[in-house]
Amino acid sequence: MNCVELEKSLAEIEDASRAEQRAHLKTCPACSALVAELNRIASAAWQLQAADEPSPRVWNSIEIALRQEGLIHPPRADRRPVSSFNARWGRAGWLVPLAAALLIAIGIYLRPHSAAPGQQAQSDVRKPVPEIVAGLNDDDFLQEVADSAPGMRVQWEDNLRRANDYIRDAQSVVDENPNDAEARRSLLDAYQQKAMLFEMAMDRSLP
Amino acid sequence: MAIELGGGRMMNKRTAKLIAIGVIVAGTLVAESRKEYHFTVGPKSGVSVMNPYGSISVRPSLNNTVTVNAILHSDKVEVDNNQSGNRVDIQSHLLPGADAESGRVDYEVLVPADCSITLHSTTGPLRAEKLHGDVTLEGSGATVDVRDISDAHVHVKTMNGPVNLNNVQNGHVEVDSLSGEVTLNRVTGPLVQVVSTSGRINYIGDFGNSGEYRLTSHSGDIEATIPEWTSADVSARSVRGEVHDDIPLQPKTHTWFAMDKGRAFAGTMGRVAASSTVVLRTFSGKIHLRKRSDK
Repeated sequence: MNCVELEKSLAEIEDASRAEQRAHLKTCPACSALVAELNRIASAAWQLQAADEPSPRVWNSIEIALRQEGLIHPPRADRRPVSSFNARWGRAGWLVPLAAALLIAIGIYLRPHSAAPGQQAQSDVRKPVPEIVAGLNDDDFLQEVADSAPGMRVQWEDNLRRANDYIRDAQSVVDENPNDAEARRSLLDAYQQKAMLFEMAMDRSLP
Repeated sequence: MAIELGGGRMMNKRTAKLIAIGVIVAGTLVAESRKEYHFTVGPKSGVSVMNPYGSISVRPSLNNTVTVNAILHSDKVEVDNNQSGNRVDIQSHLLPGADAESGRVDYEVLVPADCSITLHSTTGPLRAEKLHGDVTLEGSGATVDVRDISDAHVHVKTMNGPVNLNNVQNGHVEVDSLSGEVTLNRVTGPLVQVVSTSGRINYIGDFGNSGEYRLTSHSGDIEATIPEWTSADVSARSVRGEVHDDIPLQPKTHTWFAMDKGRAFAGTMGRVAASSTVVLRTFSGKIHLRKRSDK
């Protein structure tokens, strides 16, 4: 059995208990280290608390990785993502990113009291409101509003700015006080206000 | 001064003006049309009205009939209506070329008092009164006016439209307004929650006997005017703004947030055994707990 065959065989017998596997592991330090690492991960997984959920940055990283793998595609430059999204999903199209935005906000709200405030404050930096929040792009939103109701663009823009300010300030309080449940709830409220704004823009029905 | 009409006839200029005005008004009335619909429903019915432009007013009827009176401001809009079992749906259907003026429809709706209603209008105003079914009102710029509602869920969402709730008793109330001013006058219930980004929040009342009251804003001011005999467990906090308290509270010995002087206060007033929980939060607005002067 060589290294490739051993790796394939691990899919069937995870603990490498077969005689051939054991024989290879005795002679191959690389595969031996791999199996030891896999066993360590498996045993540590049992100890993970339900509260140790990944932060939103993990989801963003996953999205970036999926894009790099070509499994999801960024919107083409010649098509507005909002229009293409609406074409595919119809009026319900906004519900998916809205639901995702709320889920991310809920995840932030439910983040555990694991890190000490001092450590968390040192590791985090003040984050600006990202241009894209769970697939909701502010520029696309304003473009959509400008196309549908140009006379109201200033109003929508002003309210969008207020909502983003709310999110930014709420996030800063959470960053400074990660164990503050009220702060997390305020951040959730802020995201919900922005989601409400997007929802209202979608609900307008000009012919 | 006279105007020659032809054939030797003359008309007074003032008379001619009055006739011209009459023709214009008549023309307007002709363009406007009225529609009336009637639906028979059972208990706990549901009515929804989707109206991009125009007012919607809902009052209780005296029987189990839903009556819809619609004034259409032009022929560029039509009213779609549908009844499915105990549910009635009314929708203003905009035709090509419609805008905020020509697409306007004003509705007066009578519903059984236990009916649940859902109203949507961008411009509004939206009004509901004397009902005890659930009330859901949404409109980005609509003024919302809800009064004399009891034992019901009340949900209101506006972008910058002002919201006024009067005499909503034993309700489950949730108001979200980005920048509209929200006023709650004699609003009590197991849950009363207002979230605003930059709008001002005014509460006038006594926070009931028990319930959870949460008034939150980002930069809007929060003002609660309450009688001295209110029983409540109150906490107020502003991250960057000021807090003022005109009513003496029994201070809490322990709070889970820092009690920065001038930025937070927490305590109880009245009878602890029967009191509501009141949470007032703003990031940069001012919070003021005022004493109501009963005259």
